[in-house]
Amino acid sequence: MNRTFIKLLISLSASSLLATSALAGIDEGKTTYDTLCGGCHGTGALNAPVLGNAEQWKDRVAQGISVVEQNAIKGLKMMPPKGGNPSLSDEQIIDAVAYMLSALDAPANVVNTAAPVSSAPVQPVVKANTANTFNRLLKGGKEEWNPDPADDGIHDPDHEESYYLQSPKEAFEGLPESRYGNHVDWVEALATSAINPRFDRLDADKKPFVLDLNIVREVKGSMPNVVYPHKQHTEWLDCSNCHPAIFTPKKGANQISMASIIMGQQCGVCHGKVAFPISECRSCHSQKKEVAAK
Amino acid sequence: MKALHFSSPFVFLAILLISLFMVDSAQAEYGDIVINNYSDDAGMRPAVFPHWFHRVRFRCKVCHADLGFKFQAGGNDINMLKIIDGEFCGACHNGEIAWSIENCGMCHSGIPGTPIQVHGSTLQQLVTPNKKATAGDK
Repeated sequence: MNRTFIKLLISLSASSLLATSALAGIDEGKTTYDTLCGGCHGTGALNAPVLGNAEQWKDRVAQGISVVEQNAIKGLKMMPPKGGNPSLSDEQIIDAVAYMLSALDAPANVVNTAAPVSSAPVQPVVKANTANTFNRLLKGGKEEWNPDPADDGIHDPDHEESYYLQSPKEAFEGLPESRYGNHVDWVEALATSAINPRFDRLDADKKPFVLDLNIVREVKGSMPNVVYPHKQHTEWLDCSNCHPAIFTPKKGANQISMASIIMGQQCGVCHGKVAFPISECRSCHSQKKEVAAK
Repeated sequence: MKALHFSSPFVFLAILLISLFMVDSAQAEYGDIVINNYSDDAGMRPAVFPHWFHRVRFRCKVCHADLGFKFQAGGNDINMLKIIDGEFCGACHNGEIAWSIENCGMCHSGIPGTPIQVHGSTLQQLVTPNKKATAGDK
């Protein structure tokens, strides 16, 4: 079948349906659609053809309206019988189908120029935006971060002591800021002596053994190489925290992947929990690669 | 909608990455640990350990090397007897370095039934995108 013929068929079948079906049926169909069908047919979940999307509907409509109606009643592939609500009557399902087919003639994003359809009581279809928000840099308003303990979702707000605990905002006053985690740049805070945490439980004067040694890890693909600085890590940690349990202390001996880091292994033991998260790609992948000669 | 086929590891990873960076409206302090090995069963609120509060005062090494805390939420077999004996939290929470353990409710301040977790962690967002639901049920 060529495209023109299909288009003709769709518009013919849809408009003949408009002409033959009682228009009130479309209204009732919309109610069913809004409460049930729209869950999938509004979003495209489970491969459902989306309301108003002629491209997705054309092959289905080409089989004939009665086939579409029977599929809706009896179910087909991922489509459960009667959309998963057996208490609906066949008539209600047929009305819902009629409503969905009527939307093919008046999709929301197309200016309605077709005169014959303009009289039909079809409301513009507003599709709900169900797409995931892609917030790669974990950006968020400052207020969202560091709520008072009683409001943070894990401390019990019905517990007196939750209100005795220090507010993180108060503790972070004046500390260098970052845009992730609890919005404190802890490495910078230590480097600028904004905080001076003890290295020993009892001895306030004990200094850490800082190892100033960068390890460069060449990585695959186009990402910049990773430069691992021992310096910033040994300011906080003891060698034994990472070696040898997490990392074999030998260059090239450790297979590291982003997948395992995401899952909380290797660097992910801390990064993504208490140290900056992996959304800060360039904090680790910081060494430009030399461009290979062409 | 082919992306829903989890057979492809790359697509799976892509979905994980997307769900990973979805931001919840309520964000706790990054790195707060809920410890609930025994609390619920003992009728106590789960203990909440705030990393941020402690790292202002002590470097990681003090607890994670000197005191033997493993890098795993719920992975340390801590109980009140050991704390009274000066192990784990009891190394400082003894009335000398920090307030002592008679302030039960200061640590045991979690919402009853909250599972063991690193609150707000990347992994948590990965495994349970809806943190509120996780914290609220059970």
